[in-house]
Amino acid sequence: MVNPFTYIFRSKMTEEFEFSDAELEALGSELKTEVNKVFGHSLAIRELDSGSDNSTEIEISNLTTPHYDIERFGISFVASPRHADVLLVTGAVTLNMVEAVLKTYEAMPSPKFVVAVGDDACNGGIYKDSYAVLGGVDKILPVDVKIPGNPPSPKEILRGIFALVKKASQ
Amino acid sequence: MNLSKNTNDSLISAGTRLRDNRQITVSPTVQATQYATDLIFDVSGEEPQITRGKNHEFYIPLGENEFLKIVPALSEKGFVLISLFCVQDFEDNPGFSLFYMFRLSGYTDVFAFMRHVEMETTSIAKVFPSACWYEREISDGFGIEFTDAFDKRRLFLHEAYPEGFHPLLKSFKNGKIQAVKNPKEAYPFKQVEGKGVYQIPVGPVHAGIIEPGHFRFSVIGEPILNLEIRLFYKHRGIEKLAEGKRPSACIPIAEAISGDETVANAVSFCMAVEKIAGIEIPTRASYLRAILLELERIYSHMGDLSGMITDIGFPRMTTPFLIHREKFFRQNELLTGSRFMRSVIDLGGIKKDIPAEVLSKLAIYLKTFVPQFESEIKDVNASSSLIDRFSTTGILKKKFIVPLNLTGPIARAAGASYDVRLDHPYGIYKDKPPERAIKTTGDVLSRFKVKAAEILNSATLIQELIASIPEGAIVAEVTEFALSNIPHGYALSMVEAARGQNLHWVYVRNGLIERYKVRTASFCNWQAIEHAVLGNVVPDFPLINKSLNLSYAGTDL
Repeated sequence: MVNPFTYIFRSKMTEEFEFSDAELEALGSELKTEVNKVFGHSLAIRELDSGSDNSTEIEISNLTTPHYDIERFGISFVASPRHADVLLVTGAVTLNMVEAVLKTYEAMPSPKFVVAVGDDACNGGIYKDSYAVLGGVDKILPVDVKIPGNPPSPKEILRGIFALVKKASQ
Repeated sequence: MNLSKNTNDSLISAGTRLRDNRQITVSPTVQATQYATDLIFDVSGEEPQITRGKNHEFYIPLGENEFLKIVPALSEKGFVLISLFCVQDFEDNPGFSLFYMFRLSGYTDVFAFMRHVEMETTSIAKVFPSACWYEREISDGFGIEFTDAFDKRRLFLHEAYPEGFHPLLKSFKNGKIQAVKNPKEAYPFKQVEGKGVYQIPVGPVHAGIIEPGHFRFSVIGEPILNLEIRLFYKHRGIEKLAEGKRPSACIPIAEAISGDETVANAVSFCMAVEKIAGIEIPTRASYLRAILLELERIYSHMGDLSGMITDIGFPRMTTPFLIHREKFFRQNELLTGSRFMRSVIDLGGIKKDIPAEVLSKLAIYLKTFVPQFESEIKDVNASSSLIDRFSTTGILKKKFIVPLNLTGPIARAAGASYDVRLDHPYGIYKDKPPERAIKTTGDVLSRFKVKAAEILNSATLIQELIASIPEGAIVAEVTEFALSNIPHGYALSMVEAARGQNLHWVYVRNGLIERYKVRTASFCNWQAIEHAVLGNVVPDFPLINKSLNLSYAGTDL
């Protein structure tokens, strides 16, 4: 028979992370307080790539990895725009993506917010004079917050989301 | 049921005629130029005019009759079509020059056959199936019609682009155009008909944090009967954007081809320009470039390993790889100041030296990383439920490798040995060849194993490079003037990016880029997915897709 005390006194299963980022933790807890207040404990984000070089996508998805794990701050990435409060858009909006971008935005329930992530999404970046793009996301959608960078780091993206939550509370 | 106009038929027939690279009997002691001369003489009775290129490639202009005769012979001899592109008014020769780039196993040189055409020409896609996308790309870019092509649909120009618009023509000056509002015509997907067959359209916007592309499945119940992909939603006009710019100003453009291939594309672009200008980069710079290239391979493969496990819903196994990946991003930042190692590679070498203590810290980190990673891979191999999902899923058959020019880990997981670092060595790989990791099954499990093995090989190689890196300059001893005034010329360069063979062809005229052709491994490898998913169930599609991990940005340009 198994002794139940072995379960009580055995060492903890989870490992200690050797990394700890005080700045991230502080930002996260501030963000969590605001998300609780403004978005009723949960902020749903839909990510949309309108023509980025894929580095921005990588940094956004890094937000969900163990080092950042932003779900603990009340933020989740959702699969459908119909479930989203915020649209994170990356890329300079290519002509081939215009229709899909507009449809995605239209599918979101109001009130809704748009955040442009990365230099291309903010103002077209290196592509701004190309025939194949419109320019920044603000050419077709009302952009609430811009997060510049090539690409912005996960922490910078988190700061941008914080700025959006602040803005939404006003 | 009726599979109307399916490329499968033509692929299989070409595949049976072509042999995989290791079975071909050619004598590497015969010079590549001699081999090509003999071959063309045998077929057409004419002596070709061969020009040596600047970087192990040579150019063979052919008349129309010789060209048509030589194409089937090339296929029989096992030549692999690695790229096909068009240049307008090449070397003041009015009209269009098509460059058919081939490689042949056993030769490090690349064979470039040139064909001069007007607005109409003929297709070679029935002999070389991979030509199909290239020809559609040329039709979009230049308006050249391939009269007997079996697929004449537009490729990177979607419905928003007006008819008759061809951005790569010299007469078009880059600038905003009037997009078509509410286009009437829908893209004609191949129709698969029959009892019980239905279509599942997916995309361009997908459910995850991922790039856009459209997948059109035809299924009966759960198994996939046919898949057609439609990409190029992210077409940003990279090739046109580079035209008329100074080569030094194009490095950021090369870096933006695909974010997670930043170093590979920047290095490849710089190598081409350096060859044109005859610049030799210092040994230390070669070492540093190789270290960064291998780091890029590691973090890219690491993302694939975690992604494959994520897609079977097994987070406990995913976590260690995600943690490693973030640590590698942080190593990248320590080494170069950028998590994606941007703005580091420069013409003539690299921008900023990496101090010895930073390199030795990386070596120490790798020493602890290797045994840890090995034990995690052991855990993966010990999980029967995981092996059950990976094994026999998404098999990529070896016969597609040559006709579609599939390269990189996905081809090496299906029995090919090709690796640009070893078959067309460049930079420091000439002296420090990496180990080949080859599996033969071609399923998701072999791709997982090949990528895991390549991570270990890269880690070993980086440690070796750090141990033997010489002191010295990091940029070539040429004047600022020489770097900003690249002489007239053209050159091809290839690198082994994390996804496989990336090819860059640069043509400089009056110190400015006249034509920049990029072909990433993804452009070819995407076509593998249409074959790898057949007969698999739809829920396995995300797993197969992740195991191939192809770049949309690098394909769409």
